[in-house]
Amino acid sequence: MKNMNMKKWLPKLPLLFILAVAALVWLLPMYTMVANSLKTEREISRAQYYLPPQGLELGNYVTAFGILKRGLLNSVLVSVPATLIAVFLGSWSGFFLSRMRFKHSQTIFFTATIATFLPYQVVLFPLMYLLMLLDVTNTKQGLILCYLILNTPMAMLITATFFQTFPAELEEAAALDGCGPVTFYWRILLPVGRLALISTAILIFTLIWNEFLIAMAMTQGPYAQMATPVLAGLKGNYAQVWHIQMAAAMLTSIPPLLIFIFLGRYFVAGLTAGALAG
Amino acid sequence: MRYNRIHVVLFLAPILIIVLVLIGMIAWTVAVSMDKWVGMAPVWQFNGLQNYATLFSMERFWNSLRNNLTWMVAFIIPSAMLGLLLAYGLTLSGRAESLFRPLFLYPLALSFVVTGTLWAWMYDPEAGVINNILKSVGLGGLGQPWISSPRQATFCLIGAAIWQYTGFAMTLYLAAIRDIPRELFEAAKVDGASDIGIFRHIVVPNVTQATLVTIAMLTIFSLKVFDLVWVITFGGPGISTEVLGFFMYVATYRQAFVGLGAAISVIILILAIAVVVPYAWWSMKRLQT
Repeated sequence: MKNMNMKKWLPKLPLLFILAVAALVWLLPMYTMVANSLKTEREISRAQYYLPPQGLELGNYVTAFGILKRGLLNSVLVSVPATLIAVFLGSWSGFFLSRMRFKHSQTIFFTATIATFLPYQVVLFPLMYLLMLLDVTNTKQGLILCYLILNTPMAMLITATFFQTFPAELEEAAALDGCGPVTFYWRILLPVGRLALISTAILIFTLIWNEFLIAMAMTQGPYAQMATPVLAGLKGNYAQVWHIQMAAAMLTSIPPLLIFIFLGRYFVAGLTAGALAG
Repeated sequence: MRYNRIHVVLFLAPILIIVLVLIGMIAWTVAVSMDKWVGMAPVWQFNGLQNYATLFSMERFWNSLRNNLTWMVAFIIPSAMLGLLLAYGLTLSGRAESLFRPLFLYPLALSFVVTGTLWAWMYDPEAGVINNILKSVGLGGLGQPWISSPRQATFCLIGAAIWQYTGFAMTLYLAAIRDIPRELFEAAKVDGASDIGIFRHIVVPNVTQATLVTIAMLTIFSLKVFDLVWVITFGGPGISTEVLGFFMYVATYRQAFVGLGAAISVIILILAIAVVVPYAWWSMKRLQT
């Protein structure tokens, strides 16, 4: 048995070695971030960044959390509702577009694809104006509205891509029972398509949580500011205070990293569907 | 399933309203780009194509455009090639794939602001991680000025982006390789083809679609890149790392040349449309089949 395993593995060794080296290169920045976020100021000043920390200086995280807590809370209060509404609205339209045959579905699909990949800079200034008109400048509601407008087309595209792969018998059986589209969406499609919805939601949540341009342009000051602009501001105010910067970067990354670690499968499924829409 | 006109309106209203709002905002940007608007309060005074003329006469605009083109070449080609090589390597590694895959993919879950904060420190010429590590292994001579050199800085930013996005290309290629019929590989193995031969003659010709998607996605990314520039170099040294997305923000929000900023937005829009429209057309065709 052992011999057979050796025979199988031996020719693969060079390949595994190359992959391991590449993986180490890819991990190095993360290692630097984690290791140095746990060092004391004196350790940092010795500039031996490659060494692991001597102790666990969790005080850095307390300091970083003090700076970021408002931003993190705002990020949660913006990303979660914006994601839920975008996925609901997107799947609502996406269901109809992918499962019903009608004249202009192609045109709508085409337009939504363009809207999905539009660079935010193109609508940045009018979006700010829209918030002013609606009197929601510098509020979480304003941010939620921006992210809804920008992410619902993507939610529609991804859910439609998933829904399309479901068998046609789904509707046939439902139609025999006299079930209309609204009942079908709530009673059958949502439960059957739950994995598609989770994948879409995970991708969109991560996008919104990590977004910076809108988050910065639409807010000033701590009231509605999300974590990313606060973290970016840290660089100016805490220049050279690397351990605090790294702890703050870690704190900002924790929600998307947890999602990636525990729900990675859905994350990848959403990502692939998003890029390969169609 | 039977449905009526009310259903059509009910189900399509959300996406139609949002698309109309987006189209309205694009039209608004185009209108402002032909307007004399300076300062934060609206100034509606038709200015023809004057903002574009001003823009085209600015070295700062051409500098940004050039940097966007550098991004396209120096970011897309390495990310796509590394992604493909890693995907094939992972496929060959068998069961080790599930161990290695997340290690190349996790940067995708991070915010560009996090990547920026981290790599700004990696690249710092004095207190930076890379130069310090080189020094401690006795290779201090290989130390570079990195982001403090106008010639290297854009490539440093691109390096950080490659680190973050190679996993994206890899994911698309992994899916594409998985879709190649097993028989092709088996037949090649029977014929005694090496792994490299299989890569050249079977993998590369069969992942064209994934390559197209990767290039389209990464081109759009290169057109709208902003966060990394803002966090790592803030466009500097001087204006050497400025890109259109960054220049647009500075012109509009910092200098209040709103009309000029809108003109830059329209240039970004035109470049994006050149990529997105053929891509959307192509995915629509695939939806049909």
